[in-house]
Amino acid sequence: MGNGQEMAQRTTGNKEVSFLQDAPGSKEFSCVFKVVLLGSSSVGKTSLAYRYVKKDFQDSLPTVGCSFFNQCVTLDATTVKLEIWDTAGQEKYHSVCHLYYRGANAALLVYDITRKESFEKAKVWLSELEKEFLQNEIVIILVGNKLDLSEEREVTIEEAKEFAKTNCILYTETSAKSDYQVTELFVTLAHELLELEQQKEKLRHTTHWKKSRVDLQETASRRMKCCQK
Amino acid sequence: MSLKSERRGIHVDQSELLCKKGCGYYGNPGWQGFCSKCWREEYQKARQKQIQEDWELAERLQREEEEAYASTQHPQGAQSAQSLTFSKFEEKKTNEKSRKVTTVKKFFGASSRAGSKKVLAGKLREVQEAKAASPISRQVSIETDRVSKDFCEFLKTYHKPGQEIYKQCKLFLEAMHHKRDLSIEEQSEYTQDFYQNVADKLHARWKVSPEKVEMAMDQIEKYIMTRLYKYVFCPETTEDEKKDLAVQKRIRALHWVTSQMLCVPVDEEIPEVSDVVVKAITDIIEMDSKRVPRDKLACITSCSKHIFTAIRTTKNEPASADDFLPTLIYIVLKGNPPRLQSNIQYITRFCNPSRLMTGEDGYYFTNLCCAVAFIEKLDAQSLNLSEEDFDRYMSGQASPKKQEPENWSADMCVGVRQMYRNLDLLSQLNERQERIVSEAKKLERDLIDWTDGVAKEVQEIVEKYPLEIKPPNPALAAIDSENVENDKLPPPLQPQVYAG
Repeated sequence: MGNGQEMAQRTTGNKEVSFLQDAPGSKEFSCVFKVVLLGSSSVGKTSLAYRYVKKDFQDSLPTVGCSFFNQCVTLDATTVKLEIWDTAGQEKYHSVCHLYYRGANAALLVYDITRKESFEKAKVWLSELEKEFLQNEIVIILVGNKLDLSEEREVTIEEAKEFAKTNCILYTETSAKSDYQVTELFVTLAHELLELEQQKEKLRHTTHWKKSRVDLQETASRRMKCCQK
Repeated sequence: MSLKSERRGIHVDQSELLCKKGCGYYGNPGWQGFCSKCWREEYQKARQKQIQEDWELAERLQREEEEAYASTQHPQGAQSAQSLTFSKFEEKKTNEKSRKVTTVKKFFGASSRAGSKKVLAGKLREVQEAKAASPISRQVSIETDRVSKDFCEFLKTYHKPGQEIYKQCKLFLEAMHHKRDLSIEEQSEYTQDFYQNVADKLHARWKVSPEKVEMAMDQIEKYIMTRLYKYVFCPETTEDEKKDLAVQKRIRALHWVTSQMLCVPVDEEIPEVSDVVVKAITDIIEMDSKRVPRDKLACITSCSKHIFTAIRTTKNEPASADDFLPTLIYIVLKGNPPRLQSNIQYITRFCNPSRLMTGEDGYYFTNLCCAVAFIEKLDAQSLNLSEEDFDRYMSGQASPKKQEPENWSADMCVGVRQMYRNLDLLSQLNERQERIVSEAKKLERDLIDWTDGVAKEVQEIVEKYPLEIKPPNPALAAIDSENVENDKLPPPLQPQVYAG
């Protein structure tokens, strides 16, 4: 029985690889980005990623785990590979979670719009991220999930928007349950990541530093954009 | 049916997995069936003995040398010179007793009178070489040879770049050999640079496709790390070993933590689940026996996959990270994998960085790091326990695990059952012992009270009836003089003389 399962895993693994190879333009510009999902427990981090991956892969669901996802996004002639890392959101694991976002390219701060305290927690996550990363080193998106429960809303759109604006991060509201704006969220994320990468690439070419990734002289220019209508 | 037989097979495996010394922890074939602690003890003993022997030999040789030198040169001054070198010798000996035998060579090399020492150094080198050919290292060299052969075979498929890779690897190993005295961080950095350089070259100069680069990198890692393993795994210059022991001790102290306390969504009552849990534990323990960082990562990934299977079987829905991390922590606590910190450090230092930061292996490795960090920080709050309970469990005064006989499931291992019975008996004995002690205390108290009581009573009586010794009455002699009614008495009879 155990063998059967291993086989199944292996075949899905191969499928992913073949998908990557077959994807158009993958040879042109193929980047792998690490995306961490942060937020309190049961705000829908896993569901969000699950919903996103599931839609594109109708029949090849992750056979076992649901906390690590590989997803390729094709954006005009470029394929970007997103590696989505789910994290444990329970309060007691907060102290060890900094290990998760080591080397991350993007972070999704997920909160539940019906629970004020999860929004507060997202703020805490943001301040932790700011300690770890420079401003234009990482793409951060604030995600208000569970829009399908908007009648029980505790966190207003204005409030969240205001917070996102003052902290120069992107903001959106989604519903993993009703599949609202989930794909858009990840596509936007891919776009942002690509842009950031190209910026870095340019920097690497203009300055002759090969290893250093951040130019301290560069003024932090981050465009504000909002997925919300 | 098949499930049952498989299950039995695993049980046999499990008992074989345990430490040969019978300390109850898992053993490892790499350590001749001992658990890490017992192996360390055994190994240390053997090594200490070896070191001791080497020192004794060195000492003898030194003495002979000195005597020969003294007889030919200065018959007088030699004595003091000898005692001087010996005091230095002793000092070094105590300092570096646990170090490698090579220090012997170093010491003699640094000695002042180099001329006469050359022969000695040569003798010592012979001794070392003889020691180096011990069975363990010979086994290693067989494996190394096999890996080298595989590597060459693999490189043949790369044609020209293959030769170049081989050359680069050889150069790198040569360079690493000279860098052995550097700190482990520098060695790690150098290795990482090497990975980076080779990958870049493969990509840019030889135009190898990304998939082939990845494959080549895996093989290169395997080749070089198999060779470097014994020098860079848990090196003596670091605190790794200390940390290993600390983590191991910590996990041992936390033996009482149950899956309920950690909110682990795994029900071990289900036979399939408990099977998978055993597999996961086996995998995580097996990690230590691998030499290549990537193989170690593969063990972690395999363990994680088993954990996910266990969660999914229990919950009937795919697991999220919220479920996974607690379960991994539980598995680590149950398995107490040997040399956990050393392994983590080794992987971090010498794994190909592209594997570690991204990819599924990297994800599970990060989770393991989180689990270890959590175990190190674990307190009452993270287990939803009160401080008092936590302290009591930690000090071993109480155990939350105790089960009632009627709750035993039918397929429970006989040994475990016996253990619970013994535990029960022990606790009963403990109770009786406590009762005896308390009774004895009471008796003691009673005795003290009784003596005190008697003393007090006596005291009271003494106080109540004080013994007064009156001074002797001075007028006692004239007792009659004070007689008030003297005059009422008839006059004393006067002697009458009767003429006769």
